[in-house]
Amino acid sequence: MSDTENKVTATEAQEDVVDSPDIHFEPIVKLQDVVVKTHEEDEDSIFKMRAKLFRFDFDAKEWKERGTGDVKLLKHKETKKVRLLMRRDKTLKVCANHYITEDMVLSPNVGSDRSWVWNVAADLVEDEVERQLFAIRFGNSENANKFKDAFEEARENNKKSVSSSKSEGASKNEAENKEEAEKGDSEEPRVEKPKAEEKADEKKEAEEKD
Amino acid sequence: MAEPEPPKFKLVLVGDGGTGKTTFVKRHLSGEFEKKYIATIGVEVHPLLFTTTKGKIIFNTWDTAGQEKFGGLRDGYYIQGQCAIIMFDVTSRITYKNVPNWHRDLVRVCENVPIVLCGNKVDIKERKVKAKTITFHRKKNLQYYDISAKSNYNFEKPFLWLTRKLTGEPDIEFVEAPALAPPEVHVDDELMERYRDEMNVAAAQPLPEEEDDL
Repeated sequence: MSDTENKVTATEAQEDVVDSPDIHFEPIVKLQDVVVKTHEEDEDSIFKMRAKLFRFDFDAKEWKERGTGDVKLLKHKETKKVRLLMRRDKTLKVCANHYITEDMVLSPNVGSDRSWVWNVAADLVEDEVERQLFAIRFGNSENANKFKDAFEEARENNKKSVSSSKSEGASKNEAENKEEAEKGDSEEPRVEKPKAEEKADEKKEAEEKD
Repeated sequence: MAEPEPPKFKLVLVGDGGTGKTTFVKRHLSGEFEKKYIATIGVEVHPLLFTTTKGKIIFNTWDTAGQEKFGGLRDGYYIQGQCAIIMFDVTSRITYKNVPNWHRDLVRVCENVPIVLCGNKVDIKERKVKAKTITFHRKKNLQYYDISAKSNYNFEKPFLWLTRKLTGEPDIEFVEAPALAPPEVHVDDELMERYRDEMNVAAAQPLPEEEDDL
């Protein structure tokens, strides 16, 4: 058997797809080296599990898929507050990003022992804050219950950290950001970070460059 | 230091009606999988944002009508296209047969741009266009991928390949998108009550039951 024949067989064994030619195009942009931050750097992951997320479409009155990937609970190292963050597989885009607040209750979804439904007043995805009604489904009820335990623990934890952080003025900043976010008509991407934190980031980035 | 504006590329998405162009775009935009078929009229433009090892990039995706009667400006939409995806449906031979027509019209307007050919719906068992018989990409210097907007098989690959070609960065990858701290919002009693009512309605509505790989 010749080399070429061997190659064809190998390709077929993989996906049966005919190889694409290796083509050169003149690139039309030159990207600069940048530091891409996840903004999870100051948090510890305290829970992580694969799941499928849905959002309720109020117009169509039906559940729509939002993404499949790892749902995480992240605890901030300083404020100790916990948020829920989920990204889709492969593109790693954010599909859920919100704090676990006092009012959040996980309810079962009809006829399922591996899904939960909950309300979110302010979910932040791609610079947009939205009210969401989410449902999440796990591989089995055991995993679903593990998530519920971790979620409820985080809610109790956040009750404490919210009352302690109020005196530090952090919540004032966040309230301002919220107002801006709710205007909703601005063309500019909305940055939810307090100014001071932004400056700290710049400093950090500058240091990383040196 | 302000973040630099991400580069934007005009991407033209073409192919026969019903091959899944709009469903593919929606999958990337919101994560949903739309089963209903509503023919696109003219064109719908959506910015699709990706985060890469070299920062953000945006594909302004021109999702064009596949059905001739809804074609609108047709190749008028291709002007200044910087890259393209031609889609067909592997369960429908005619949609593959029409690929050369889409390609011809496209390259008349967009000369020498990177193009990906996508055979969609590979999750369906009754495949009609066998992978081995798909050879058009070899003749015309296109990249080919089997994809499924339903199962997400290879669904990021067309964008990743185009990103690599447009930037000349063969090793670029998609990475975790930045997740800024979300705002904290106080929910008052009135709103709480509304939320509760809405939740009761939604919780009584079963989730779409699909085979998931969880």
